[in-house]
Amino acid sequence: MNLRAIGCNVESATVELREKLAFDAIKTQKALAELNARFDAEAVVLGTCNRVEIYVARQETVAALHAPLMAEFLSEIHGVPADVIAPHLYEHADAEAVRHLFRVASGLDSVVLGETQIAGQVKDAYEAAHEATATGSRLNILFPTALKVSRRVRTETGISQGRVSVSSAAVDYVHQVFSTFTDKTVLVIGAGKMGRLTLNHLMELKPARILVTNRSPEKAIASAQTCGGQVVPWDNLDDALVQADIVLSSTGAPDHVVKRRQFDEKVRGRRATDRPLLIFDMAVPRDFDPRIHDGDTVTIFNIDDLSRVADERMAERRRHIPAAEAIIEAEVKKFVSDWNRRANGPVIGQLTAEVDKLRDATCGRLLTKLNGKLTDADKAEIEQAFRLFQSRLLHGPIAALQEASQEGHSGGLREALMKLFGLKG
Amino acid sequence: MTVSPLQGVTHACFGLSYLCAFLLELARLVWPARGWRIAGLVFGVAGVFAQTAYLLINQPPLAAPYGSLLLLAWVLALFYLYGTVHYAKQAWAVFVLPVVIGLVGLSFVLATTSPESTGFSVPEWAAGERFWGAIHGVLILLASVGVSVSFVASLMYLLQARRLRRKFAPDRGVPMLSLERLEIMNRRALNIAFPLLTAGLLVGTLLLPHGPSFGDNWLSLKILSTAGLWLVFLVLLYLRYGVHVPPRRLAILSIASFALLLLALGASHPFAVGGVK
Repeated sequence: MNLRAIGCNVESATVELREKLAFDAIKTQKALAELNARFDAEAVVLGTCNRVEIYVARQETVAALHAPLMAEFLSEIHGVPADVIAPHLYEHADAEAVRHLFRVASGLDSVVLGETQIAGQVKDAYEAAHEATATGSRLNILFPTALKVSRRVRTETGISQGRVSVSSAAVDYVHQVFSTFTDKTVLVIGAGKMGRLTLNHLMELKPARILVTNRSPEKAIASAQTCGGQVVPWDNLDDALVQADIVLSSTGAPDHVVKRRQFDEKVRGRRATDRPLLIFDMAVPRDFDPRIHDGDTVTIFNIDDLSRVADERMAERRRHIPAAEAIIEAEVKKFVSDWNRRANGPVIGQLTAEVDKLRDATCGRLLTKLNGKLTDADKAEIEQAFRLFQSRLLHGPIAALQEASQEGHSGGLREALMKLFGLKG
Repeated sequence: MTVSPLQGVTHACFGLSYLCAFLLELARLVWPARGWRIAGLVFGVAGVFAQTAYLLINQPPLAAPYGSLLLLAWVLALFYLYGTVHYAKQAWAVFVLPVVIGLVGLSFVLATTSPESTGFSVPEWAAGERFWGAIHGVLILLASVGVSVSFVASLMYLLQARRLRRKFAPDRGVPMLSLERLEIMNRRALNIAFPLLTAGLLVGTLLLPHGPSFGDNWLSLKILSTAGLWLVFLVLLYLRYGVHVPPRRLAILSIASFALLLLALGASHPFAVGGVK
């Protein structure tokens, strides 16, 4: 096995460096072509917002590509000095590289544990390399296997269970209260980041109306344009609350924007009692007086409530790490064993053919010398004896090679056999 | 003469089948796996099959408390099967099956301990095909189904509302329908049940003077509790459409109306005549 996974991720490199090393489509094509032409290596470039990695596989008889060399290569592609890149690169070799790719594809190496997006990114990276004919017999087996392992890990463990972002927790609460959304009105108060993120999720539910209000009319118009909403003047906030079913509030106000008394007098009484109001107060300090929450017609979730849900789900995912790692370990072992068996195949075939030739020549000479003195039965007996000898002679080395491949280190033995029997690689 | 093996079906056959289905559904909540659901459904279908056979073979009278409870349990068992298939991700069975099991159990207790009627004194004008009696029974039964559905929806509503009030994580605990869906289910069940109950009561009222003891009939527990149920319904509808009381309070009243329904169904019918079993 001559396989390397070399790159950097959020833990080894700053976002500034990762930005500089990011691969666009053109740079990816260039890098793949260069790796192919210059090093005769199969290659896949995996670039996401959290990592830049290059997977390279070469013939076993040639030297491996190491991190310092790859730093030079990345320097050429991105114009960043190699000595700036090198300290941040990690290198995983052979079985370790396989394990790393399996973990990456399964979301075990992701910032958000178990995230599913990475599997798609691995698939895209492989397909791009495959289309550029940068992959060969080695990576064409490794990457599809990694995607299969990723699916298995996600299916058999709860590593990707539940949605772990704060905004997706809000959407899950919305599903607890409402069953239809096409007749609902979403009110967005303020222009905070969390409010915008949650609104993006809620827009997928296709609500009937989105109302946007902000102390600054300009900001309200800008927000409304991005979400196709309708601007409501700040002074009409109470009326908007009467119409709303779901409220996303994330202003930067230093005090409550909606006070209990104001809500009770101007909003509560004007709403139908069988119309629940769900408020996501994502502002700190909070925009809504918490006493408005009655858990019946009006339910308020603040940022801490949503974060707690996200944290609980993440903790639940973490519980599945050992099971996921166990699957990956078993799959790595199987993959390495299969890989070595495949690599042994041609060597064993060549070895058997060479000894066959030798046996035929030796046996043929002997039978020619004894021609006329032997019956057909004697000749068959002699040929059988030679075959048996050959079989016993080769049994030891072949069995040792197979055994070593199962243990994942047949490379050295394979090379020794090739040298001993004068086989060509 | 050959005897069908289905003639040996008893309350225990379907009651225990429902119990197994319920336990398997509970197991599914603790250890999520598809197998539990399939096994639970198999027991549920077996229970419905056995109960259907029992009802067809024994034909318990609708006016007898144990018969009406058994028929109501059967309709709710069908409702459970529908819900379990339709709302596959929700813990539907966990809420409906206890009601079904409870009704089957109550029916069994009444069938074995209460004096059994040997017949029903049907008024002459309706005696031909017992037409009006049957209409009265069917209307009351269908209204009872509505009340039972409303009870289950209200129970789920209160639990879901409690979870939201306490801000439990959305995926923690028993998976349930949204508040909106439960409120709609409760409202529809009551809206359908009320006219059925009213019509059933009217037919019953017309039949009442032809009963064996007119004066006592009006004061029988069955009549009083059914009338009470109708009044509670009236209050419920007024609170919902007239005063717009929050859904949580209506859910509590709906649960109370189910208690009245059990009392009404469990009480012996004033037309029942005959000795003790």
